[in-house]
Amino acid sequence: MPFAIENIRITDCTWLLAGAGGPRFLAGMGAEDIRVEWKDRLDWLRSGSLTIPIGEEAERVRRGETVPSPTRTSVEQGATFSENNPGKRGISLNIRTEKGKEIFKELVRISDVVVECFTARTMERLGLDYQVLRKINPSLIYIQQPGFGRKGQYVDYVSTGPVAQAMSGLTEQSGLPSPYPPVGWGYSYMDWSGAYYNAMAMLSALYYRARTGEGQYIDCSQAEAGLYLTGTAVLDYVANDRSSARTGNRSPYVPSAPHGAYPCKGTDRWITISVYNDEEWRAMAGVLGDPRWTKDERYTKLSARLMHLDELDHMMEGETLQWEPFELMEKLQAAGVAAGVCQTAEDRMERDPQLEHLGFQVELPNSTVGTWKIKDFPIHLSDTPAHSGGTLNRGAPCYGEDNGYVYGTLLGIDDGERAKLAEAEII
Amino acid sequence: MTGTRSPERKGFFFDIKVLELADHRGEFCGKLMAGAGADVVKVEPPSGSPTRRIGPFYKDEEEPERSLHFWHYNHGKRGVTLDVTKPEGQKLLRDLVPRFDVIIETFPPGYLEGLGLGYAALSALNPRLVMASITPFGQSGPRRDWKSSDLVHLALGGVMMNCGYDPTADGEYDTPPIAPQMWHASHIACNLTFIAIAGALLHREQTGKGQYIDAPMHQAISTNTEMDIPSWAYMRAPVYRQTGRHAATRFTTPLESITKDGRYVHASGGLGRSAESVIAMLDENGAAMDLTDPKYSERGYVSTPEAAARIDTVSKKWVASYKFERDLWKEGQKHELHWAPIRKPEENLEDPHWAERKTFTEVYHEDIDRTLTYTGAPWLAEHCPWREGPRAPHLGEHNLEVFGNELDLSQARLNELKKSGVI
Repeated sequence: MPFAIENIRITDCTWLLAGAGGPRFLAGMGAEDIRVEWKDRLDWLRSGSLTIPIGEEAERVRRGETVPSPTRTSVEQGATFSENNPGKRGISLNIRTEKGKEIFKELVRISDVVVECFTARTMERLGLDYQVLRKINPSLIYIQQPGFGRKGQYVDYVSTGPVAQAMSGLTEQSGLPSPYPPVGWGYSYMDWSGAYYNAMAMLSALYYRARTGEGQYIDCSQAEAGLYLTGTAVLDYVANDRSSARTGNRSPYVPSAPHGAYPCKGTDRWITISVYNDEEWRAMAGVLGDPRWTKDERYTKLSARLMHLDELDHMMEGETLQWEPFELMEKLQAAGVAAGVCQTAEDRMERDPQLEHLGFQVELPNSTVGTWKIKDFPIHLSDTPAHSGGTLNRGAPCYGEDNGYVYGTLLGIDDGERAKLAEAEII
Repeated sequence: MTGTRSPERKGFFFDIKVLELADHRGEFCGKLMAGAGADVVKVEPPSGSPTRRIGPFYKDEEEPERSLHFWHYNHGKRGVTLDVTKPEGQKLLRDLVPRFDVIIETFPPGYLEGLGLGYAALSALNPRLVMASITPFGQSGPRRDWKSSDLVHLALGGVMMNCGYDPTADGEYDTPPIAPQMWHASHIACNLTFIAIAGALLHREQTGKGQYIDAPMHQAISTNTEMDIPSWAYMRAPVYRQTGRHAATRFTTPLESITKDGRYVHASGGLGRSAESVIAMLDENGAAMDLTDPKYSERGYVSTPEAAARIDTVSKKWVASYKFERDLWKEGQKHELHWAPIRKPEENLEDPHWAERKTFTEVYHEDIDRTLTYTGAPWLAEHCPWREGPRAPHLGEHNLEVFGNELDLSQARLNELKKSGVI
């Protein structure tokens, strides 16, 4: 089947996840994404973070053994790099040289989008900012994504997921009520979410260009996108003068009791349960074997349960601890109660029949590290299914892997000239 | 195709019309489409959307026209009422479909098909239609009909096992995994569905044909986490949740520094160059204590666990000697450290950085005669500005405008439809 946007070409100067993740989605929808890299400033995720095992270590992992820290011998073994960049092409180009800039401009001339997440003034310093590039390609879409945005007094501040989350309020909103500290997000929520907004900006601008012929510049900020995800907190403060306060796993805005995560049999195993009415309450009590306490008048009616949340949670724990979590989940769901195990990565990858059915991960090859599973695009388009491997049906690019295609086929630089450029440390 | 900009062609999706039949799972997607310039018409049952009963409420008055949840998530849309269970309501919807580009719906799988309003039937009326169904588990599969909540999604999707407090000193987790509050299951699914809808609209530019989009929240949320999947895939190692920092296969140094008044600063230390930056920052502020010892100028030494622990102690002591409002995080940023205040969302309202970017927007509510500040745009696009209003629609507010203008129904006919409970 066709891809949705096979006619689009992106010059991708991103890195890490918040930057690299956005064009990943467009590559998954069929765009030709050309990831531009240079060996002296490689994506940290090629060198740091987790390592993909190769050879004998890979075999051990496939057999189900834990390999605490695989040996790294190559820049192609970055595990999160691999997760963040599938379906993209990769070239090496030193845009800090004059000849490199010239080649970059030729690439921009035949691209629809330039996306970058350097610190805010980098491309201006290099003379490759939107004002310059739009003269080369008037309908260009240019997406800039420094952490705090290009405009505003924090222009030179640095951001990662945790910084964007702390600043925006997302960290403060997560956790048990004070005096517990905010617990925040145990991963960079604003990396994938920053990537979503980056992708949304590119696609929105592409649609506008398709209808009008006009390109444009968009100033994205990971921290600002975070603010957009803080829900009704700002409005509640403005309208009601109510300060944002944490409520743990409870349901502050829709009456629900019980509503929480409860411990089960096993080490660190938990189940979440949300009960919204008395019919669901009786169904849940039935699954638990109708323990006597569930008939107590403190608990039989939702309005009463809402008055006794601490005691209710305590009683719930006494019940759930006797259960294997997945068995309890199956039984509660069969009885019509919203319940879900707090699933680990292992659970989602190896024992979730729904994710298996939907196609959670897809196997993609990489010419150095071999074939591994990568998260697939989770939304299903009927006529143009997106696929993380993109039109190449491939994992993340190896460093400079597509120099031949991009410099030779697209830009018409012949073999001899390419050898000279390589010698001169330009490509 | 080129054209000059005219005032009515402002947003990205200036010529796109969206019908939204969505509850809390999908109305954020409609809000995004509206923000990006589409004309979004929210279709509610005559009794009102269930999201009108979600809090918080204006002045805590639990009324359908006072839900701040509804106001926030339906900002920028128009609203009509229509009962899809009544044949006349179904006819109205069918009549509207040829005039719209996109439908966003959140009914249980198979429900609209049962009413003769599934994608096959509606695309026969309008082959250009893009229809997105946002549901808990998708349109097919063994758990298609399971029940969910935001909490249950964040549990099943893996978010919770990444989020929570450190265990006790003897390694036992005595607090549960935490679901970050404020509807993030919906946020994640709606962001990704927007991406799919935009892709489908771009494809339609090529082919003239719409398509169907099946958006399972569970799959969307399961892809949102970061290190847990690769850690399991490549090492078969689980990650452990840790207060205020990344879940990881090992325990790491706490990053939250408490201020004198019991607030927190996200203050990363680290090894090598970042450790040197922390020392330079502390020294500049007269708080370096023994870190001025020459041994801390050696790259080899500052990267040892012993040095890192001492630098962390001195840094945390410095933060603890000031109140939150002192904004020490800016000192960190001056030294290119990843420091940030752990703010409440509303503490961003007075920040001049956001003011300059017009991140917040003012919306007038004539019914309460007040202008309220909303979170405005997720990015800054001067060529296609994010939509700033109007306020969320009252129940059936645009019935005349939409049914009258689009379908040429008279006021008398609308009165009849209202009387018979169709709108």
